[in-house]
Amino acid sequence: MHLHVASAYSARYGAAAPRALAARAAELGMRTLALTDRDGLYGAVRHVQACQAAGIAPVLGADLALADPAPHEHAPPGGAQGGSGRRDPGRRVVVLAEGKTGWASLCRLVTAAHAAGERGKPWIDPGMVAERPAGLVVLLGPASDVGRAVAARDRVRATALLEAWRATGAEIVIEIVNHHGQGDGPRAARMLALAREVGVPAVLGNGVRYLEAADHPVAQVLDVARKLVPLHRRHLDDQTGHAYLKSADEMRRSAELAVGPDEAEALLRATQSLSDRCVLDPARDLGMDRAHLPDTGPEPHGQLLARCLQGLRRRGVENRPEYEARLSHELDIIGRKGFASYFLTVADAAALVRDLGIRCAIRGSGAGSLVNYLLGIGDLDPLGHDLVMERFLADSRTGLPDIDLDVESARRLEAYEALFQRFGTDATACVSMMETYRARSAIRDVGGAMGLPPQEIDAIAKAFPHIRARQIRAALTDLPELRRSNLNNAQLGVIFKIAERLDGLPRHIAMHPCGVLLSNPTLRDRTPVEQSAAGFPMSQFDKEDVEAMGLLKLDVIGVRMQSTLAHAVAEIERTTGEQVDLEAVPRDDEPTFEMIRTARTLGCFQIESPGQRELVAKLLPRDLSDLVVDISLFRPGPVGSDMVNPYLDSRHERRRAVYPHPDLEPVLRESQGVVVWHEQVLRVLDVMTGCGLSDAEGMRRRMSSEEGLRKVGTWFRERASARGYDDATVERVWRTLAAFGAFGFCKAHAASFALPTYQSAWLKRHHTAAFFAGVLTHDPGMYPKRVILDDARHFGVPILPLDVNRSSALWQVEDGGIRVALAEVRGISDVEVERIVERRPYASLGDFWRRAHASRPTVERLVLAGGFDALYRDTPVGRRDLLCRVGALDRASSVRPSAGLVTGQLPLGDDLATPEPGMLEDVPLGELPPMAPSEIVEAELDILGMDVSRHVISFYGDLLRALGAVPARELPDREKGEEVLVAGVKVATQTPAVRSGQRVIFATLDDATGPVDLTFFESVQDRCAATVFGSWLLLARGKVHKPGFRAASLTATECWDLAVLDEAWREGGISAVRRLMAGSGPSRGRPIGRRMTYSSGFAVSPYADVGHAGPAVRRPPPARLWHASQGSSGPTSP
Amino acid sequence: MTRVFGDPVEVEVVDGRPAGFAWRGRRYAVRRVLEHWVTTRDWWREREPDADDPGEREYWRVEAAATGEPGVYELRYDTAADAWTLSRLWD
Repeated sequence: MHLHVASAYSARYGAAAPRALAARAAELGMRTLALTDRDGLYGAVRHVQACQAAGIAPVLGADLALADPAPHEHAPPGGAQGGSGRRDPGRRVVVLAEGKTGWASLCRLVTAAHAAGERGKPWIDPGMVAERPAGLVVLLGPASDVGRAVAARDRVRATALLEAWRATGAEIVIEIVNHHGQGDGPRAARMLALAREVGVPAVLGNGVRYLEAADHPVAQVLDVARKLVPLHRRHLDDQTGHAYLKSADEMRRSAELAVGPDEAEALLRATQSLSDRCVLDPARDLGMDRAHLPDTGPEPHGQLLARCLQGLRRRGVENRPEYEARLSHELDIIGRKGFASYFLTVADAAALVRDLGIRCAIRGSGAGSLVNYLLGIGDLDPLGHDLVMERFLADSRTGLPDIDLDVESARRLEAYEALFQRFGTDATACVSMMETYRARSAIRDVGGAMGLPPQEIDAIAKAFPHIRARQIRAALTDLPELRRSNLNNAQLGVIFKIAERLDGLPRHIAMHPCGVLLSNPTLRDRTPVEQSAAGFPMSQFDKEDVEAMGLLKLDVIGVRMQSTLAHAVAEIERTTGEQVDLEAVPRDDEPTFEMIRTARTLGCFQIESPGQRELVAKLLPRDLSDLVVDISLFRPGPVGSDMVNPYLDSRHERRRAVYPHPDLEPVLRESQGVVVWHEQVLRVLDVMTGCGLSDAEGMRRRMSSEEGLRKVGTWFRERASARGYDDATVERVWRTLAAFGAFGFCKAHAASFALPTYQSAWLKRHHTAAFFAGVLTHDPGMYPKRVILDDARHFGVPILPLDVNRSSALWQVEDGGIRVALAEVRGISDVEVERIVERRPYASLGDFWRRAHASRPTVERLVLAGGFDALYRDTPVGRRDLLCRVGALDRASSVRPSAGLVTGQLPLGDDLATPEPGMLEDVPLGELPPMAPSEIVEAELDILGMDVSRHVISFYGDLLRALGAVPARELPDREKGEEVLVAGVKVATQTPAVRSGQRVIFATLDDATGPVDLTFFESVQDRCAATVFGSWLLLARGKVHKPGFRAASLTATECWDLAVLDEAWREGGISAVRRLMAGSGPSRGRPIGRRMTYSSGFAVSPYADVGHAGPAVRRPPPARLWHASQGSSGPTSP
Repeated sequence: MTRVFGDPVEVEVVDGRPAGFAWRGRRYAVRRVLEHWVTTRDWWREREPDADDPGEREYWRVEAAATGEPGVYELRYDTAADAWTLSRLWD
């Protein structure tokens, strides 16, 4: 019966999830419940689903701000005039939808509200309601303009405002609210009197924001977080704690206090009858029962058939019975589902993207469909890779299938624009997503509300890994890096407690990174649309919502690797004229696989992580199918259910492949008897029960829940036994399937990933410099660019320094080397880059200053990073001299115009003729000492984020030699189990899910001879975790581990901050260093956090796969990296 | 004039509303409830706030008299502490 309810989807306002609200309403015996979120319909679909689950009927509306009636009174002096573009966030009305017409009117009203206001600040006025009033019910409560006038005892104005609303043509209803605040009761009584006098119906409302009274502190924190002010009573919208989902009896009591028992009863009845009338039927009114596809012309199925037959010819697989049979099978399913328009639309979209010259690849289960291959949506032959269609589309699946297209990340928005143009702005929109509170964001908002200083808040938030908000206090006791901090005090305790209560609440809306809705012109009747930050029309529904609403969502995913490949191919053509068609490159190139087998795969798609480098070194891939297996095996599931070792043993003939039953050999042969893929689950179920692949897919999907798993198990045992399989076999097979259950991988997905994996490796092997130019430009992987740069050195690609006359916007190939890009310079703008490139060559710094018009900080950074070195080579002029001159040039050019004004003359246009304005001042050149190598590297790290001229670690060579540290390159030569020291720059840390369920920290160091991978088990994290996460340069002790044939890593036991040791060394020599190292203390090996254990025995740490604590490692920290003290320290080779 | 007090008082509650109270040794009978409202506590200002269930403060502005002329009294009830206070009076 509640008609005015905000859920958490009223960002930073509501505190309850739609599901909780619906469940509580049902518990309280209500038949209906409205959801009226602020400023939009963000929670509408979830509310409908929640009501269905709770067995009650949904009502939908929106709580919309009103236009500011007198904007000029509030406008800042000198600000814009006029009444448009402003809103009064405190004055609001609720607009409910009645029936299908009302829903369409409401969607359009919300869209109009967002179009009227500036982004994120929508408003309406009665005129906008009047444009399309059909089926709208406007509730005027205490926050409405009418309510405010009543509160101000301005009866004349209240009546006039009410009349304006009645003139819109929408149904107008007065909403009576008593939150028990001071004066609420008498105001409610006056409001009711007005309604009775003018003959407008009145109902009861409670402006619900949270589930129960005790939740009000959360709402109060949200009030101040929204307004960016500290907690104080005057900032609170909620003063009384009564905005909770009250029962009918509580509502009656509140009303009685204000208007007496008879009116209270009448209000309650009116509320009930209005909400009954506004109930929306999901199918009839919201259209959730069917798909709303773009119009693709008459006879879509006939069109589809014709295009598939063309495709058979084009792909050269005409008259092949297996292809024809598969095609007719797929077309049958598509026909039964009525999805022909869907495929035609997606084919259209993919062709559109490719015609722009944007690389476009299919990913995911869609690669399993022959129709997609024939239509040119994907380039992978599903029959060649033994992929099945049913994983993608089957009779047993409901809803539209999902097709994901990977496009070049750098050109994704270009692809979007083309789609919007082709399908029409009315019929297209992006999909949104709600950013929700997690630990760090919750701590920031609550800390701000409680008035903590910003720097302190920042430090506290960053001390936490990227965990969920509700894990905050558990993490404080679980994680050694936090236990050692001083975050365990009472003051912070309150902040953490409230921060936990914000867990998962929506914080703000954002554009989904890839979803695009393609529909017909009724789209705007089905979803409200607002503008995204990038200026695209964006649905207020997220990806699950749009699916439920029957809207076609195409995922156009920006993939950096695709941009990387495109850049590399373009560089090959620019430098050699050779046109490489990556799709046509033979997929069995032996040198490429040889490189992969030696695990020199940094920068390659999917196979560059430490774990993957270890796996490829063990698996030794020989062809593309092996890469498909490799990518599939490197998942939590296969690792967790120990499928990797049996597979490897059989593959390398250390063990014969074991098949649970001879009938299953054809299904499992490719993966040595191990179940790796979803597709194999389907086939196993089909072989042993004869159920057909479509039903098998239905069963597989049910296996993801514990209950479904049990039911499918019973069904499987019965059917398999009935077909004559013996009990032992049936049990054995079922155990494998069950263990695999939720974790398997879609082979079609792995196969579509294997292609760019191979393509990137092929480029790295055969067009190495172009490959590195691509990787450095588009940064597709997990490592900081400086690691890629070092890898390029190891591959013999010279790194050419920054040069204002040679560097271009992006990384380019030059004489077999790669030239540092201008875009790497910190703070440089696109315009500056463009101008620098356009106006070169430059003869001198002065010439550059006059013609390139870059800002002084940019020019200084270019100087410090060596951008002018080439111009002054063989002269005594060093970077320090040039830096001095930049200052002189700046002073000279800023002084002259004003000097001109002083003498009353216009500045003359002869600046360009002045040979060297810097010379006007007495700046002697060549007298300042040149920068030391350490200072040069420091400047490079600061400005470019990478050490270009030499490796950072080279400055610690003496110390490392004194300690006997082992270079990464030599690690494989050491004995297994030998204890060694290694050192390097930290380039990655991960805490992935591992079989034991421990939180294991994997860290990768880079010491100029290659990467070293370190493993820190829980037993040593007490003393190591804080150092690993908090330091950039590390020294570690550990035992050599040899997992593969050539690979070696370190099982670490201790680690230190190398910069700290270096300082001790400079002050007290090696003995001081050893003293420091001896003091690292014991480590009690206690388990970290409570593991979640799955039925397969696979355990997961609650801290697996979360971003680590502390700052990001992609750029070096801003502090000085080492002491360049007392005339010391040229580089020493390690 | 308004006078502000913070004296604890004993309040007799009938049907969920105050019917009388004892203050400074005298008994006052409530004749009429003039206004009733609630506020949440300023939990964030407390030294060890209980943010889980901070409770509320209930205010009753009543017309009451011991003997003779009635005055207006404001009674405050703190749900968490289960305690009444005479917060203000007008006489």
